[in-house]
Amino acid sequence: MAEVLANGVRLHVQRLAPRGGASPDAPVVVMVHGMVMDNMSSFYFALGTCLADAGCDVICYDLRGHGRSERTPEGYQLADSLADLAGLLDALGVDRPVHVVGNSYGATMALAFGLGSTERVASLTLIEPPFLIDGLGEEMARSLSQILVAMADDEVQEWLDNGAGRVAGRATRAARRLLEETSIATDMLATPPFSPAALSALPVPVLAVYGENSDIIGQATGLASLVPDCTLIVLEHHTHMVLREATAYLRELLRWWLLDRDAPAPTYVRATTRRFETPQWVTDMVPPPDLNRTRRGELAEGSRR
Amino acid sequence: MSGEGGTQRSAIEASVLGEVAEDLRDVIGEEYALDMEISMETTFSHDLELESIEFVALADRLRERYGEAVDFVGFLATMDVDQVINMRVGEVVEFIVDSLPAPATAGSA
Repeated sequence: MAEVLANGVRLHVQRLAPRGGASPDAPVVVMVHGMVMDNMSSFYFALGTCLADAGCDVICYDLRGHGRSERTPEGYQLADSLADLAGLLDALGVDRPVHVVGNSYGATMALAFGLGSTERVASLTLIEPPFLIDGLGEEMARSLSQILVAMADDEVQEWLDNGAGRVAGRATRAARRLLEETSIATDMLATPPFSPAALSALPVPVLAVYGENSDIIGQATGLASLVPDCTLIVLEHHTHMVLREATAYLRELLRWWLLDRDAPAPTYVRATTRRFETPQWVTDMVPPPDLNRTRRGELAEGSRR
Repeated sequence: MSGEGGTQRSAIEASVLGEVAEDLRDVIGEEYALDMEISMETTFSHDLELESIEFVALADRLRERYGEAVDFVGFLATMDVDQVINMRVGEVVEFIVDSLPAPATAGSA
């Protein structure tokens, strides 16, 4: 397993390259996953292998506390995450500006990294970043509170004890341990808002991708209006889970963004064949009212429609 | 010739299957995996309940084991996470065997 010591933390890293190795001027792409219920595998399989095969030098890593990286009791504030990322690049000897690609809170991190370490950044790709602009609402606190409530629920514990399959059970237990045994919740709630002045002065090109039906779509136009070089893509019919739902299009989009930006951007045509089957309550991070009778509950719900 | 080649390929497949199974058991690291029979037909998701992050760890070990000869990145690049995790172990074994240089055989055409 590839381990790197960065900022004093043991991080699990996977570096992917095309056959024969990446060329010296290939884009270096750093992929940053979301918080709590995520790890590097989402980016690795959705975009990492595809971009590496297309010629990029791809770096995927597990954030501290996630996947196979060290779970420290503290150090989950935005400033810590940024120090981990900078430390990772130092440890890997990356001395060229990198293309940071982030999903959800990983995108919030990417944006902050672009603002704070501008000289290290060639471009930013922000997939559904939840963030506050100074003076606006309480999005992040609300959605994080929902996660905390869901994870603390006694019914979730009962489900874990009695019925969860290995994969969902392990993921949920890991998320609960992370929430219960570290400072991640309070640290995330303390994420400072971004200043409009700083965003207006951001010199790097930004690709921002949102799902039309996402809870945070309201932030998209704010971001696009402030950041001088911002390409905003809003995908019809999609939710916050754009990375998983629209993988084929995102592959095309990222290949264009990283390797062929002079060409026109690929337009999105909704794939109609694939059914997205993750149960809605997992997506919403809210357990169904009666876990033991979920199946009958779903059937009853279906018959009411 | 095909008979001998077929037998040879079966032997290579069996050997690679053993190596992949060993890496799988190490990655899973739990009791149930030590007792389970892992065959060409075993599926990662349904039979082994493998998490996708565990598949990443498996790919890492296989890349280390087989080196430049086996282009796992190219192989995985054609699939999304659901396709990867729903594969049979045999599909990975076959890809490895197809990628490895053919051993020299006396009298082959």
